[in-house]
Amino acid sequence: MQRNRRFTGLAALLLAITVSAPIAAAATTKPKPIEIKGEIIDTWCYLSGVMGGPEATSGSAHHTCALWCAAGGIPVGMRAEDGTVYMILKIKGEEPLEKSDTIMEIQSNVITARGHHYVRDGVNYLVVDKVVANDGITNHNHNDYGPVPPFAVPEKK
Amino acid sequence: MMNHISKLAGVAVLAGLSTFAAPPAPAADFSKGSNATELGLIGEAKATFSGKVVDILCELSGNCPANCGDGKRQLGLVRDTDNALVVVSKNAQFEFNGAVDDLLPYCNKAVDVDGLLLGDDPGMPAKVYMAQFIRLKGEAKWSKTERWTKAWAKRNPEAKGEGPWFRRDPRVKKQIEKSGYFGLGKEVDEKRRKENQ
Repeated sequence: MQRNRRFTGLAALLLAITVSAPIAAAATTKPKPIEIKGEIIDTWCYLSGVMGGPEATSGSAHHTCALWCAAGGIPVGMRAEDGTVYMILKIKGEEPLEKSDTIMEIQSNVITARGHHYVRDGVNYLVVDKVVANDGITNHNHNDYGPVPPFAVPEKK
Repeated sequence: MMNHISKLAGVAVLAGLSTFAAPPAPAADFSKGSNATELGLIGEAKATFSGKVVDILCELSGNCPANCGDGKRQLGLVRDTDNALVVVSKNAQFEFNGAVDDLLPYCNKAVDVDGLLLGDDPGMPAKVYMAQFIRLKGEAKWSKTERWTKAWAKRNPEAKGEGPWFRRDPRVKKQIEKSGYFGLGKEVDEKRRKENQ
C-alpha cells in the first residue's frame, strides 16, 4: 500500500509536469515588462549580410540605408548591449509602418526603451511604450567603412 | 479504485517519459520544390511552405485591428507544419522594400510561399524570411512579391519624379535634411566629402 502511494505520488508529479508543459510553452507569448538599451538597426541588412557584416551594417556608416529600409517597411530592430536582436512591433503607441517620424528619427541611435517583451519561436519582439533616453548615434563607423552601401551618399554635382 | 489509479499512474509515467525522452528537433528543410532565386546571403536556405498570413502583434498579444492593421503593422506567417511564427522581412524587389504590401491582400488567409530563410546571428536564433512568391494555398499560379514600389507611389503622389523611390521619399529626405547622410549633422557629411576629394 505504501509502495502504491509512492508510485501514485510520482505519477501525479509526472502528470503535472506533462500537463503543464504546453501551458509553459504558450506562456512564452505573454509579454514581460522590460527596460532595455541598444542600437536601433535595419534588421534586413544586419541579419542577411547583403551589404556586409554586422560591423558595417550598423552605426553612422549604415544610417542612410537604415532610413531607406525603415521607410521601405522592413522591420526595424534593436540590438541590445548583450547582442540580442529585438524586432520592434510598436513604438510610443504608433504602429511601425505609420507615417510618423519617430521610427525615422531614432535610426542608428542608441536608445533606452521601456516597454514589453514577447518571445516566440526564437524571435524576441519589443513593444516600446516610452523612449527613456536617447544617446544619439554613438557608433561613428563611417570613419572606417564610409557610407554602406557606397551609393548611400550621392555624388555632389 | 486502486486499479483506476494504477492505470492513471501508468499513463502518466508513459506521458512523462515521452516528454523527457523527446529528442531535439532537427533543423527543418523546406527547400524541396522551391524555385526561389538564391542570393548568397548569410545562413540562406531556399524555403517553400504553407501557412497563414498574420499580423504579428495580433498573433502575440491578441490586439487585432481590422485587416491585419491595414498596412500599418508588420506581418508574418504561421507555418502549417510546426505552427512557427515566421517574420517576413523582405519582398522580391531590390529597392529596400518590405513585404507588407505583398502579404496584406492575404491577411488571415492560407497561402503557399516560396523564398529564402536567412540569418544566423547569435543574437537572433530564428531565421527571417524573404518571400519571393505567394499564392492562395493550393492555387496553381504564383504571384511575384513586387507590389511595394507601386503601393509607395500611390501613398506618396507628391513624390512623383525621376530616380528610385528612396531618393524621393519625403520622410527619408526630411531626415537627411535634418541630420545628414551619416545622421551626425551636415558638417560631418561635408567634412567627409572634402576628405575624399
